[in-house]
Amino acid sequence: MTWFHAARARLRLLAPRAAEARIDDELRFHIEMETQRIAREQKVGHDEARRRALATFGGVQQHRETLRDGRGTAWFSGLSLDLKLGFRMLVKYPGLTMVGGLAMAFGIWFGAVTFQMFGAITTTKLPLPDGDRIVRIQNWDRKTSQDEDRVLYDYQLWRASRSITDLGAYRDASVNLRGADGAAQSEIAAEITASAFRIDPERPLLGRVLTESDEAAGATPVVLLGYDVWTRRFDRDPQIVGRTVKLGTTFATVVGVMPEDFAFPMAHKVWLPLRLNAAGAEPRRGIAIKVFGRLANGMSLESAQAELTTIGKRLAVEHPATHAQIQPYVTPYTQLGVNNTDMLAIKGVSYFFVVVLMVVVCSTVALLLFARAASRESELLVRSALGASRRRIVTQLFAEALVLASVAAVVGLALAQFALVRLGRPYIEMNYGMLPFWVDFNLSPMTIASALALTVIGAVVAGVMPARKITRGLGTRLRAGTAGGGGVSFSGVWTAVIVTQVALTVALPAVAMLARGETKRVESYDAGFATKEYLGATLAIDGSLDETTTPEARTALEGRITASLDALRQRLMAEPGITGVTFVDALPAEDHSYRRVEVVSLPGIASRWVAAARVHPSYFDVLQAPVLRGRSFTNADLSQEARVVIVDQAFVDLVMSGRNPIGHRVRLTSGAADSNAAQLPSYEIVGVVKELGLASAAMPQREPGLYLPVVPGSQGSNKLIVHGRGDPLSLAPRVRELAATVDGALRVEKVTRLDHVTTPLIWLNSLWVRIIIGMTAVALLLSLAGIYAVLAYIVARRTREIGVRVALGASSRRVITSIFRRPLTQVSLGVIAGSVLIFVASIGVGNTTQFRGTGVGGVLTPAEVVLLGGYAIVMLGVCMLACVVPTMRALRVQPTEALRAE
Amino acid sequence: MPSRPQTDALRGSLDLLILKTLSIAPMHGWGISQRVQQISNGVLEVNQGSLYPALQRLEKDGLVTSDWDTTDNNRRARYYRLTTTGRRALGVELESWRRFASGLEAVLGVP
Repeated sequence: MTWFHAARARLRLLAPRAAEARIDDELRFHIEMETQRIAREQKVGHDEARRRALATFGGVQQHRETLRDGRGTAWFSGLSLDLKLGFRMLVKYPGLTMVGGLAMAFGIWFGAVTFQMFGAITTTKLPLPDGDRIVRIQNWDRKTSQDEDRVLYDYQLWRASRSITDLGAYRDASVNLRGADGAAQSEIAAEITASAFRIDPERPLLGRVLTESDEAAGATPVVLLGYDVWTRRFDRDPQIVGRTVKLGTTFATVVGVMPEDFAFPMAHKVWLPLRLNAAGAEPRRGIAIKVFGRLANGMSLESAQAELTTIGKRLAVEHPATHAQIQPYVTPYTQLGVNNTDMLAIKGVSYFFVVVLMVVVCSTVALLLFARAASRESELLVRSALGASRRRIVTQLFAEALVLASVAAVVGLALAQFALVRLGRPYIEMNYGMLPFWVDFNLSPMTIASALALTVIGAVVAGVMPARKITRGLGTRLRAGTAGGGGVSFSGVWTAVIVTQVALTVALPAVAMLARGETKRVESYDAGFATKEYLGATLAIDGSLDETTTPEARTALEGRITASLDALRQRLMAEPGITGVTFVDALPAEDHSYRRVEVVSLPGIASRWVAAARVHPSYFDVLQAPVLRGRSFTNADLSQEARVVIVDQAFVDLVMSGRNPIGHRVRLTSGAADSNAAQLPSYEIVGVVKELGLASAAMPQREPGLYLPVVPGSQGSNKLIVHGRGDPLSLAPRVRELAATVDGALRVEKVTRLDHVTTPLIWLNSLWVRIIIGMTAVALLLSLAGIYAVLAYIVARRTREIGVRVALGASSRRVITSIFRRPLTQVSLGVIAGSVLIFVASIGVGNTTQFRGTGVGGVLTPAEVVLLGGYAIVMLGVCMLACVVPTMRALRVQPTEALRAE
Repeated sequence: MPSRPQTDALRGSLDLLILKTLSIAPMHGWGISQRVQQISNGVLEVNQGSLYPALQRLEKDGLVTSDWDTTDNNRRARYYRLTTTGRRALGVELESWRRFASGLEAVLGVP
């Protein structure tokens, strides 16, 4: 128990006030007892007895000091003094506080945003009771390395599992919901089993949640509404429960309203019972569902996994055709795929990058602190002479850096919180859909702790590094009495720091220029037709479960979709103001699917990847893009036997090398190593059109493309394009209305003007540009401050020398030259290094897959060289500006004063 | 047991005296100084002021522990008592002190 007694004693001693009081009480008791004893034994008065007692005790104050030192808390009071001094330094050197603090705040901001983003995405904490025991059960296909969601058959067996309880399933089933105003609008819904409401046991705001009886075949169709839908679509109608609402083509009774924060299973707002016709399920057939559950009492993820693995092995034996390669996995609920190693790798690399950035930023701040410490050298020498150890002085300088870094941390964290919650989340949700309910962008304690660790790293780099340098040989300098006389020198390390900084300042704008160029290119992307006159939308009908379980039912559903789309087209064409309606599988400027194309009739031409689109025969007419050669698609081409394609001009130029392609035959494969390629049918090229946005806007180079005719609604061709007079967006309500009339289940989503297709890409690019400009500004500021600090220090130290020179008749020019030599060398080296960096990087970029042969990167054009050269000269000038003030100060040195200083 | 330099006879002997005194009964600082004087018939006089840093050191090493208590005449005082480790350390120190003393005796006994 020694350690316990010792630890208790040490802990007690660490509480400074309590320890002080204890010493006082103990010593007072001792003196009083001794006084009484002396008074009693030596028969003297109280005062005399006390005097003698104090004498016997020996210097009370001295013993008290010994006790205090013995407590080992001297360092503590020392540190608090250092911190106090650090705060004073912040106020005393506002320039350094601003520049250094800003740079560190930038590093910490960047770190906090990165930590929080990855933390939120890779979190395993579910904000539900028992959250860490909620799991997903997913099948993984080892052969294709993909998740397999058609698990209805397996689900039956999993339900018998002893290690997982409350097993349930859901599937996304967005529906057209007709609101109080009578308008139908698509809402994110989930068809879900009643067990979900045991996993997330939140009580409904009104009515009840879904129950098992709702899942029975023949039960009254019911719907549970989310708070948001209830508010937005039904005006918070308190009488909503029991009312019948229209969902797609059917009606359902509202049974309840859930509270605002309920979004289980992901980010859903409407819930319908999941009616699984599980009895007739066949292995790896039927609908895709997601399965969830709760680990049973006393069961761990591992034991559940072991049980599922056994079930998986049994299935592999019983159904080798479908399950030989299937492995079930139990993962934490927040992990959406079976395999998340990629994400963890990206996370690791990003964290490493954050730390490197912080170290780079802080080494420049270190330079500033070094210059400040150097200008306070005499103070440090005096402290050293008074007995401060080297460690003590290093601690003091570290404390100063820590104070600066802490202030920066507060600013950085506040800005990170703002950027994530106010800017990041709304943007992501606007462009990529709602985030799962457990993703929280508010800074988590873990993020704050990581950011604080980063702060300490920054303080160590910025404080300890210069402190160790400046205190080296302090004793020698003290003996030599050379304070202020040239003891401290700015050696190679600092030159390297400044050169790196200037190089970055020169090189970063080139990156910004590249990104800006990309943005401009995307902005000026020419899809080959008047995109701003067209409206684009995604049409969707998700069949009910019965309609998707068998292949026959799916074919019937496709037929229904085709009929609905055709009817919609007829209705739209009849509208005044609408001049054209067509369908395609991906809008112009979006990413298209790629097919490997081989020109069968010209064996000499190597096969290559070609962007492909499936279009309605009316496509080219509606886009007002005349066929350049050959003919357009006709309805006859829609038949299986027709096998015709139309290619674009880029195909003619890049694949056919300018030959007339009409009449040539091509074969389309999905990959290079398609063994059945020779058996695949070939297609005849019947026409040539201009380039119409088959190459995505993100691709910098021309891409060959081809078109296949398609019946609307089949093979993914569910994008609607409408051409009208006036602003196409004004047509949107009418399109929705007609879609709802044609087929209640037909949902109109992602309505956009075709020239806005590239907006998210432009936003991302400009964000990138802004970040780089921010980084450049920080780098520039740091270079300027660094150069200024070093030069100011040198001038201050050489005051006497300059004075003597002036006294001996040196001209101003000579004085300036002697001062300027060092910063000029450093900045020039930096500019050269930066230029080399740009040159090398541009060659590198030019050789990447994305930019090869696009004119981006590669050897710089003369115009770019002139631009960058001009920028380098401006940089040189700006850096020299940092030298002006110290130089003026040097020139004002009066010889008499400088010599009198001696 | 934490090591203490045996060569520091003075400091070592003070620690030894304290440990020995506390092995009889728990006692407060003033009491320890009185007890030592009393037992040695006034030959050994503990420097009262240096007693407390020694007690603090012993407490930090876990050889003694202390708590507030009341004296016979109802005064509040801090009482020190020996821990098990302290008792063991006393044995070791006594042994080494005796060896040291007999060695010294042998040297001084040489005519």
